[in-house]
Formats: sequence, C-alpha cells, structure tokens
Amino acid sequence: MLDLDEISKKVYETQVWRSIFRHSPWKDAPRDRMRHIVDNIWLHLHPARIRPRAVKVSYSWGLGGISFMLYLILTVTGVLLMFYYRPTVELAYQDMKDLEFVVTLGKFLRNAHRWSAHAMVLIVILHMVRVFLTGAYKKPREFNWGIGVLLLTITLFLSFTGYLLPWDQLAIWAVTVGTNMAGATPFMGNEGPFSGLLGMRVNNDVRFVLLGGTTVGASTLIRFYVLHCVLVPLVAGALMIVHFWRVRKDSFSAAPLEADEEKLDVWPHLIVREYLAAALTILAIFLWSVLQNAPLEELANATVTPNPSKAPWYFVGLQELLVYFDPWIAGVIIPNVIIVGLVAMPFIDVNPKGVGYYSLRERPLANTMFLSGIFLWFLLIFIGYFCRGPNWGWYWPWESWLAHKPLPPPTWDLPAWAGASLMIFYMAFGMAAPRLIGGEISWSRAIGAFVALFLLAVGGLKIFTALAAAKLLMLGFFIFIFFLLGFLFPQRYLKGLDLARYALTMSLILMMLGVLLKIGLRLGFDIKYVLSLPQFNFNI
Amino acid sequence: MPGEPITRRNFLWVGWSALATFFAASAAASARFLFPNVLYEPSQKFNAGRAKDYPVGVSTRWTKLQRVWIVRNEKGIYALWARCTHLGCTPNWFNDQGRFRCPCHGSNFSPEGDVIAGPAPKALWRCKVELASTGDLIIDKAVLEDRPGFREGHVYFVDV
Amino acid sequence: MRKLFYISNFGILGVFLLAIGLDHKREWKKHQRGYYEMEAARLEEELKSAGDEAERKSIQSQIRSFRRRPLEIKQIITPDLGRVDRCVTCHVGMDEFTNPSLSNPFAEHPFKAHPKSIAKSHSFQQYGCVACHAGQGLATTAEAAHGQVEHWEEPLLKAPYLEAACAKCHGNFESLSETKTAALGKKLFEKHGCIGCHAVNGRGGVISVDLGDIADKPLARIDFSKSGLDRKDWNIKNWIETHLTKDPMELVPNDPEGHLGEPISPSGMPPFAGEINAAQAQAITTYLLTMSKQPLPHTYYVPGAPAKERSSGDPAKRGQMVFEKYGCAGCHGLGGAAGRRNFNALADKQTRMEDGRVPSLVRVVGTYSPEELKKKIQEGVPSSAISKFKPEGPTPPLYMPGWSEKIKGPELDDLASYLFSVADQDSGGW
Repeated sequence: MLDLDEISKKVYETQVWRSIFRHSPWKDAPRDRMRHIVDNIWLHLHPARIRPRAVKVSYSWGLGGISFMLYLILTVTGVLLMFYYRPTVELAYQDMKDLEFVVTLGKFLRNAHRWSAHAMVLIVILHMVRVFLTGAYKKPREFNWGIGVLLLTITLFLSFTGYLLPWDQLAIWAVTVGTNMAGATPFMGNEGPFSGLLGMRVNNDVRFVLLGGTTVGASTLIRFYVLHCVLVPLVAGALMIVHFWRVRKDSFSAAPLEADEEKLDVWPHLIVREYLAAALTILAIFLWSVLQNAPLEELANATVTPNPSKAPWYFVGLQELLVYFDPWIAGVIIPNVIIVGLVAMPFIDVNPKGVGYYSLRERPLANTMFLSGIFLWFLLIFIGYFCRGPNWGWYWPWESWLAHKPLPPPTWDLPAWAGASLMIFYMAFGMAAPRLIGGEISWSRAIGAFVALFLLAVGGLKIFTALAAAKLLMLGFFIFIFFLLGFLFPQRYLKGLDLARYALTMSLILMMLGVLLKIGLRLGFDIKYVLSLPQFNFNI
Repeated sequence: MPGEPITRRNFLWVGWSALATFFAASAAASARFLFPNVLYEPSQKFNAGRAKDYPVGVSTRWTKLQRVWIVRNEKGIYALWARCTHLGCTPNWFNDQGRFRCPCHGSNFSPEGDVIAGPAPKALWRCKVELASTGDLIIDKAVLEDRPGFREGHVYFVDV
Repeated sequence: MRKLFYISNFGILGVFLLAIGLDHKREWKKHQRGYYEMEAARLEEELKSAGDEAERKSIQSQIRSFRRRPLEIKQIITPDLGRVDRCVTCHVGMDEFTNPSLSNPFAEHPFKAHPKSIAKSHSFQQYGCVACHAGQGLATTAEAAHGQVEHWEEPLLKAPYLEAACAKCHGNFESLSETKTAALGKKLFEKHGCIGCHAVNGRGGVISVDLGDIADKPLARIDFSKSGLDRKDWNIKNWIETHLTKDPMELVPNDPEGHLGEPISPSGMPPFAGEINAAQAQAITTYLLTMSKQPLPHTYYVPGAPAKERSSGDPAKRGQMVFEKYGCAGCHGLGGAAGRRNFNALADKQTRMEDGRVPSLVRVVGTYSPEELKKKIQEGVPSSAISKFKPEGPTPPLYMPGWSEKIKGPELDDLASYLFSVADQDSGGW
C-alpha cells in the first residue's frame, strides 16, 4: 500500500526540500501558520494575521484579488501568444488565423486572453464600485485609491492597445476612432480647440506620436504592440506593487477597530479564500474560452468602415457619448474629469461616516451621485451596444437591422450669446440654488417646486417649439433628475461643507447632470451644440 | 555674487541640478524620438481620370482606392475627402437618401459636404482639384478646405 | 469551502482536458485519416491480384506506410502570391506528394484527385489553391476554408464561376476550351450593351459604376436587404447575378416617391431577366468576376490575341459594329428595336413611372434627317432635358451622353447609315 503521509514526511526531510523551504516540517501551530506567510517570498506581501472583517467575502467580494488573477492569466496567455504573433501589417492577421486553425491550443489561448481582458475591465470597475460604496478610499487610503483609479485607466488602455493587434476591421476602426479623439485634445491635437495657437498640424500633434504617422498603419501596429506587451504592463506591475503594499500597510479592512477584535491567521483563513477566488476565476475563464470564440473580422481595410462599427463594450458607452458631444468634450474632457474627479474624491468627501461597511443612509449624497454616474455610464453602454444599428441609427434590440429607418432630423445650434448665457446661468444657478435655501425642504414643497419648474420650462419652450407628449415626458424626466440630484440632494446633504469643497462637489455634480441634459437636448430637441465657436473648434 | 566662496553645499546643488537637467533633457529627447521624421505613407495625389466622364451626382468610383468622392453639380466638379470630420471613419454614400452617412457615430452630410445631422463638428473636407491638359482630374488630398466661400474657389473646384 | 475547493480544482482540470480534447479532435484529421484508410484498402484490393513477389512486397510496404502515416497539416506556400493554402490537409488526393500521380478512383469529396491537365501547367507549388478557387486557405475546417463564414468575403468559386479565375490571367480566355462560360459572358456583355452605361477600367459609358474592380467590391457597401438572398449567400457573385436574374429596381428601389426628401429614382439598370436566361446570367457573372484589381505577378499574365478588327464593305454592317462597340443596345435595346425602361421618362401608353422608356430607335430615327441624327448622337440628351411622366417625380436615371469625343468621322457616318437601315419607314415617331 502507498502511504502518502509516510512519503511526504520522507520528502520533507530530504536535504533538497529543506534547502528550498526554510521552515521545519509543518505542524498546525500558530507559529507555523505565521511562518508560512513570512517565510514565503510570494506570500509575505500578506501580514501574518488579519482582521476578521477583511476576510468576509460579502465585504470585498474578492474583486481585487480576482482582478490580479486575471492580470496573471493575461500575462501567461499573453506571453504565450507572443511566441506566435508577428506585429506587422502583412502577418498579424495571418497569425490570428494560424492561432485559430493550426497552433495547438492557440484558439483556446487567444480566447482566454481576450475574455480575461473583458472580465478584467468589468471586475476592476466593480472593484472600484465596491471600494467606493464601503468608503474605503477615505483617510488614510486616499493615495491608494488614486493608484487604483490609475490602474483602472491603465486596464482600459491595455485593452485599447491590445485591440489593434489582430489587425482586423474591428481593430483598425476602433483605434482610428480612439486616436482621432487624441487629435481633438485642446491645444495639442490638430483638430482640437485652440490647436492653432501651438501650430498643430496633422503631422506634429499628439495623435501623430500615438500613430507614428498620419493614419493607422504599420508604425501604429508596432507602437501599440510595444505599448501593449512591454511598456504598459511594466507600469501596471509597478503600480500594482504599490497598490498591494499600501493595502497591507493600511490594514486591509477600512472599518474602525473594535475593542475586542481578535485577528485571524492569514494562513489559512485569507489564503483559502484567495485560492478559491483565483481557482474559480480560472475555471470561469476556461469555460468561457471553450464555449465562445474571440471575434475576428475581415482583414483591416483603411478605406472601408464596417457598418455599424462598434467599439468593444467597455468603450461603446464612450462611443455613444461621442454622438452627443464634440470629440474634445466626450473624448478628452469628460474622461479626464472623471479620472481627476475620482482621484480627488477622498479629498472632497469629508464625511467621516460609512467607512468599512455598506451604508446608503450614512452617505446618501456620495453613494447616490457615484451610483448615478456608474448607472449613466452603463446606460450609455447599453444604448450603444444594443440599441444602435447601421449608420448608428436607433434600432431597438428586437428590431431587424435590415429595416429602413427614417433619416435623422437636422440639428441646430443655439446662437452663441444664448448658449453662453444659458451655460453661465446653468452653472451659477446650479451652484447657488442649494445654498440659497437654508432649512429642510418638506416633500410637499419639493413636489410643488418641481411642478412649478416643469410648468415654467414647458411654458418657456412652447414659444419656440411644438411639444408632443413624448417630448413633454422627456422634459419632465430630465427636469426631475436635475431637480432631485442637482438641487434637493445637495441642498439637504451638502450643508456643512466649506466653500472650496462645496464648489468642487457641485461642479462635478453639475457636469454629470450637464452630460445627461445635453443628451436630452439632442434627443428631444435636436440641438447640436449649446455653445459653438467654430473659429476655435470650440463646441459644447 | 563674486565675493562669495563656493561652499560644498552650494556645489552639491549645482551637481543635482546637472542631473535634473539631464533627466529633463532626456525626457524631451525621448519625446522627440517618438516623432518620426519620415513616413511610409502613399502619395496624397492621384489622377481620377477624365473629368468629362463624371455625370451629375456623387461618384463613388474612387472611394475604395483613394477615399475620395468626386461630385459634379450643375457648375462643375469638386472632390470630397471620404473621412468623417468627427472621428475619421469612412461614411457611405446613400443615393436614395442623397446623403453621406457615417457608420461610427451617425453623422450625416449633404452632397456639398455640409453636416445635416449627427455629431460631426465641421463640413467634409474638399480636396484640391486640377484639370490636367489631357482633361484628367488631378486630386490632391494634402490640400484641404472646408470653409464655405473658400471651398468653392478655383483651387477646389473645376468647372467642366 | 471544501466543496468549492473540489469543484474548482476538478473543474479546472476537467475544462482544460476538454479544451485539449477539442483542440486535438480537429475536423481535418478525420478526412486525412479517412484518405489513408481508403488508399490502404484500395492497395489491399490490388494486392489480391498482384502476382509478382517483388510487386507484392512493394504494395505491402505502401499499405503499411499509409496505415502508419502520422496526421499533419499540409500546406502549400506560394511565394509569388504570398499565400499559404492548407487545402491539401483534407484534400489529400490533390497533394502531389501523397498522391504523385494525381489520380485515384475516389469520387467523393474531399478525397477526389485534382484534374490532371490543369495541374500539369499550373504547378501547385507556384499557384497554390486559393489563387484560383478562392476560399480561405489558412483555415482548416470545411466551413471556414470554403469561406462560407461571416467575415470572409471570398467564398469558394464553383464551376462555372471558377472560370473567372482562369480569365484573370489568361487574356486569351476567349479561345480556350476551359473557359467557354467566361467567353460567352464577355460576348453577352458586349451584345447587350452593358458597356453603354458601365465603363470597364475607364473605357465605356459613364451612366453607372465602373465595373473594372466590381469583384473586389466590399460587402459593407452593399445593401442586400432587398435581394431576397439568405445571409450566408451575401457575396459579390450573388449580388452581380441577382442584377441579371431579377429586376434591379427591386434590388435598389431607392425613393421615387420622395419620402426621404428629393425623390430619387430606383436603380436605372433595365431588367434583363426576360432577355437572358439563367445560364447566360451565370456566364455574364463569371465574366464580371474576372474584374478585380488585386495584383497578380506580371509573369502570370498570358496575353490575348489582339481583338480582330472586324470590317465590312457595307456601311450599315459597319454601323452595326459601332452600335455594338459603344453599347447602344444597353439603353436602346437589341438592334435599337425596343427602348429599355427609363424610370419616370415620358413614353406612350404610360400609366406608371415604371413604364418610362428610352426611345426606340427603330421608330424615331425616321423622323430625323441624317445631319440631325448625327448632331443628336454627338450632343446627347442630358437628363434635365428628358420629359418626365410625373413632373414632381424623380429625374429619370438614364440619359443620352454626348458622344462627340468617342463616335466621330467614319464611325459616325456608318452608325447613321445603320440606324437608317433599321428605321421603321412609315412610323411618325413614337
């Protein structure tokens, strides 16, 4: 009979084993559990003991760990794929076909790489949502939250750079659109506002550096390859090290210490959970990769755009946003404001409550605003992904794309003076209104004010345009959203804030609602730009 | 300050600033390095064939190879660059609708190139067109104009 | 927790083994193994009738070699064309290394041998497979390799369309016995006056698109929604062919009622379905599929004999040749007898816009003097000068281009003589 215990004991005692693992044979004692962590180069990023709250699955959902596991899967599959992939215009697409048809497990690896990338974007976003909802970005974790936001940005950038590599139609057009947004950067992009001041042309602006040329071509492919396989992963790795280190230094769970809290041994309590999260992640990715193949369209063609041409799901919200705004707003300003706003969040939100647990009641404003933003983002993704068809026309998910739709109506701009005053009024009124009323507003008065505001808007618009029932409904909806989120909530919950923080919070809220209102203006009233100064490429 | 002696502390600052300058210079040089000095991109000029052969309307003959539409109206011929001014996709010409429509974000343009609907901020670019002595159209995509009033000028328009 | 541990660990192993299994069980292996088995079985039959000991030995060793042969991906790399074709992985009978004689008794796909005659003059190592047959050479599953999948725009060409591949290089295809369909297609293309509206590489009419690269037309630019074709049949071959077998007005109805703005008449292409049968439509399609701008090495081209200058002593006969050369029949009908449909153009006995007709030359020519007729041909009739049936309806799609630069001198005189020779003497116009 094979006695496994006997064999393992013998193995543990060999000189070879002892030379590798410093500690003496395993006895299930507190000291051994500690040494398992401390003596192991890979595990010693953990503390030896940890607060029980941090181990609870329903607190963290293991999302950070799963993201890291996905990053590891991506690294392993990515390195393997690099053995077969040649980043040239002539060969890249052929190598994709080779992976699918002739390389052993090539299709599986490519699927795993692609699906892990999609999963990682989703999980990293969810991780951020979780951290926000549990208030875990507050002091002393502001810095690490910032690193986390950067890591989210990098995750998206990694996906974006990887997208070009198959050199198919999906790739070239997603990247053409993405890099043209860079061309709309204020001052630094040749099609952005005020680009004339710095003498930007198509062959010296920021887009030109990104592409290594004036159009997406061979030099773009090699640039994106280097970014995707070397530069960005290195930066991501460095930031991850910092991120993990600070997680540990900041003691995992953000909840305040309780008096009688006794710490748990990381081995086995945390390690087991991490192991299971990792294993289930691998299982999910494997299953997904066996069941579904990564998409690959026709060979890239620089003159023919597929109709419709859709970005991957995580960018399709941005693509939909681009329908309503000038590229420099939707492609440059809004994403940057989101990133900067998120990084600044811990410094703006000084509410001391709700750290380390989920609570809508104790953090009504922060959570409502954040979730509204996330909801808006996913709503845009939903519209772009499911409701858009040929020529980016509106097709309900159940409609056939073969149906011919009426042409989109012509759009119009507000005159510059009107647009400028409207925007100044919007910002000034939005900023001031919540501060003007001191006391608590009762529900009946709030409803009265909303109805008054609605009637005022209807009356005002009646002069200019006919209002159908659908438009009335839409108008009511947008005014309701603005009234609730832009006025009632700040009025109630932003009272004690100092002026600087108040102004910052309000401008973020007003910008978010402004995006929604602009979408409403376009969909309901065909307004293209509220403010347009074509001589500066400046359109809002 | 001539009289002041160089102390060790002062000199250390000079040393550090030398290093800092080096870092700044190398960052700038790396940035410059990334701007290619030569490009391997096809010529922007092409011969579009006999001008007389274009009937009234929008011709898609050159969209696939050169990404240009040749349009003839009652007065003459101009060439539109088939690149959406929004984010650079190639719109399609819909003869039944009399419009160019972009598949990426839904911009619509008239045969004149003006934006009818959708997010595109500007009219489609018109390319320089010349009439060669053979009667052929020579089109140059590097010379572009989109401002009304200028784009109808003789550089961007041939009256044949 | 323990349960999860088991589930995940066994799950990972299980799914990974499944992935390996799926990866190992490739479609092509079945065909390759099948071929070797069939070859072995055939040789065993041969063995029974073999008398000589040496012959028996040799056959036996061949059998053994087929039985033991490892399965592998076979591919032809064609440096000139820059292609990699893996078709012979399944079509082993066409692999000149496994089956050097390129002959076998197997009738069923994919085991058949390649016709020898063509293989002789077209070395597989130089041409590969896809250069002629189209499809996706890199693929190793039947569906993908035959190109009948999404995102592959060049599905396998079957006979007779396959002849298009021959004619791409063979300028002399009209004189070859293997390309009769393509040759017929060219003849019909000329006879029915297609060139009157469609130029080919800049030579020909300007009313519709240049067909010089029609075979490369990107499918993204085609609206198949009215074609009645199944999605899997959306390809350029079918797009061309439906133009000939159906009424093009149904394929591209456009907006004659002006629902979307300015009324735009439907496709101006007249219906040819009544004039040509299915086989003729196939032939024209085959001919048009040769029209590609995809580069081929210049050494691959076989020049055709220069077109014979046809001549005749009879000016009317010569005029008929001019009539055909410039594709007048495209609009005016064969022999100028019956004008074809011109949507919303004014015609007699008209009740709908669809009844609009191009004038029938046979009937109107008699109303002109020779000088007037020549002037008319030279100046043409711009679309703005064509009377509409419905004044608020769309501009008729067909018009008479001015021919002054193309038809002149003796050609013009001959054409006029021809037209007067066919003119209906006693009709007073249409």
